[in-house]
Amino acid sequence: MKRIWKYALIISIGVSMVIGLFFRPEHPHFWWEKIPIFDAVFGFLGCIVIVLGSKALGHRWLQKDEDYYRD
Amino acid sequence: MIEIVPPAFIYIVGALLLALVRERRLRAFLQLFIPVVAFVDLLAMPEGTYWIYQFLGHELILGRVDKLSLCFGYVFVIMSFLGMVYALHVRDTGQHMAAFFYVGSTLGVTFAGDLFSLFAFWEIMAVTSVFLIWYQRDTAALEAGFRYIMVHIFGGCALLAGIIIHVVETGSTEFGLIGYGGLASQFMLLGFIINAAVPPFHAWLSDAYPEATVTGSVFLTAFTTKSAVYVLLRTFPGVELLVWLGAIMAVYGVVYAVLENDIRRLLAYHIISQVGYMVCGVGLGSYLAMNGSTAHAFCHILYKALLFMGVGAVIYVTGRRKLTELQGRNLYKQMPICLSLYMIGGFSISAVPLFNGFVSKTMVVAASGELHRPVIHLLLHLASIGTFLHTGLKLPYGTWFGRAPKGETVDEIEAHEPPLNMLIAMGMAAFLCIFTGVYPRVLYNLLPYPVDFQPYTPDKVIAMMQLLLLTAAAFWIYIDKLGGEATVSVDTDWFYRKPGLLLLWICVHPLQNLRLALQKSLAGKVAGVTSLSRNPILLPEIALKYLHLKAVKGLYRISGPSEERTEALRNLESRITELRSMSYDENLYRRPIGLGVLVAIILLFLYGLIYYLWLR
Repeated sequence: MKRIWKYALIISIGVSMVIGLFFRPEHPHFWWEKIPIFDAVFGFLGCIVIVLGSKALGHRWLQKDEDYYRD
Repeated sequence: MIEIVPPAFIYIVGALLLALVRERRLRAFLQLFIPVVAFVDLLAMPEGTYWIYQFLGHELILGRVDKLSLCFGYVFVIMSFLGMVYALHVRDTGQHMAAFFYVGSTLGVTFAGDLFSLFAFWEIMAVTSVFLIWYQRDTAALEAGFRYIMVHIFGGCALLAGIIIHVVETGSTEFGLIGYGGLASQFMLLGFIINAAVPPFHAWLSDAYPEATVTGSVFLTAFTTKSAVYVLLRTFPGVELLVWLGAIMAVYGVVYAVLENDIRRLLAYHIISQVGYMVCGVGLGSYLAMNGSTAHAFCHILYKALLFMGVGAVIYVTGRRKLTELQGRNLYKQMPICLSLYMIGGFSISAVPLFNGFVSKTMVVAASGELHRPVIHLLLHLASIGTFLHTGLKLPYGTWFGRAPKGETVDEIEAHEPPLNMLIAMGMAAFLCIFTGVYPRVLYNLLPYPVDFQPYTPDKVIAMMQLLLLTAAAFWIYIDKLGGEATVSVDTDWFYRKPGLLLLWICVHPLQNLRLALQKSLAGKVAGVTSLSRNPILLPEIALKYLHLKAVKGLYRISGPSEERTEALRNLESRITELRSMSYDENLYRRPIGLGVLVAIILLFLYGLIYYLWLR
């Protein structure tokens, strides 16, 4: 079951990248919109930045014991 | 011919009717019938300004009806119907009444045409919504509710201050474009952004919503923040400050959602994130951006209600609300319908094409592109990633599937699908999410300005799919890192919760001790005075004796002590003590009646004298 999902994900990523090469925005507003697969790279790196960045912030400062406000 | 009335009144009368109804079926009928009446009322309301009343020399306008207020009005009424279907099984009539008052006052805000009626409905909204939290009836809800109401009362005061300054300065009570600049606008903006949950004034939302009742939180998600977006669209379009606040807010909510363990609190942080897009759209101020904000508010109400309904069903069935208590229990086997409907909400909020988030969120993002705002554009994109990561992947994975950390024993949970009315409400919300996603024209026709925007172009769809698919890939890599952690995250509510505890400590310890010490010293004085009042007739004699004693003591101190003198002193002191201990006995002080008459005649004579000599 799990393996099917994994393959489905990989295949759809591949397909979306290939199709993405052919459909570009007609009026790009920023330079990065001209780069093919920019959104894929941004999605991947952005997700990693969010996870690691937030976890680092959380572990260092923000996360406290569950009864932090109760003593 | 239908006689139209302000929709707020329909709900308020409906809430009062609910209180009178004892029969369950009749009550359920009313719960569903009143939103329908309100919807028909809305359809019959023509555009224009009406329901104008005179009040203290100002006009109260309860019906300012245009495309903007109607669009918000429609979605509020639809939402109240969905919420009521979801809450149909709840027997607590008080909750339904609070919900109706809350919806009614929100519609009052929506159609208000002047600042005074806006303020009145604004306050009713805060006061009635807090009961949806308190009806949870536990300590956490009680405390969170008090914090919630205090923040909102603060916001209301700021708004009132702004309104008063504005009215004094301009003489106008019109609720329309205000624009940023000057003290009045700053106070009003503060009041509005507190309700819109803009950081750093957002913590009331993530603090209180997860503590509300399962059905109450569904109502809460829809009205307060979105009515704030509505008033911002009216009063502060194109304010640069809001662009930045909105974009930061969108990312801020996402960061906290990573850390969150409580499933409803995680979603609450995503309300903050999503409202960020709307606030940003208000700030950008172009037609596309403001249409986008309105459309996103419309869609957000539907999918966020659906998401809260989904996790609410899990909480209702299992009694658990934390990822750490749910992951690895494989609830998907017992509640597949609930999971599927939740996922429709999850795809909608993540802006997957063909779901309604896609047709509204892309408007705001596209507006930031058209206005050439690169940083804003990227921040909004980043928030999109986080949205899908949490509400679309992490939360459903942790709640319905998930793996418990190694070494932790997993207890079995008895679970089943939620009651039918909950599923029906979720089904209707899911239908609306897909319907507006597939036929965006229906939504676009409701928007305040003409829409010249096509969401379904190949490049937009592909770009969004790439973004989301790669987010899913990254999620897969970090899947074990993203499980729940049994912690709470400190947020800006720290600034009133911890100092609040300190204030409490100061009251309980140092201040209390000071009070006790003062009381002790004063109590002695008071006791002395009281003992004197036991026999007031003897007071002159006691005073005389006391002075005598003091004088004698003073003299003795000068001339030096001796045996007999101390003896005399002791006698004097014991005489005073004796006098003081004597209680009043009326027989002892009886006088002939003539004495009283004499005193009266003397007083009368003095009165006459004074009158004739001075006052004539």
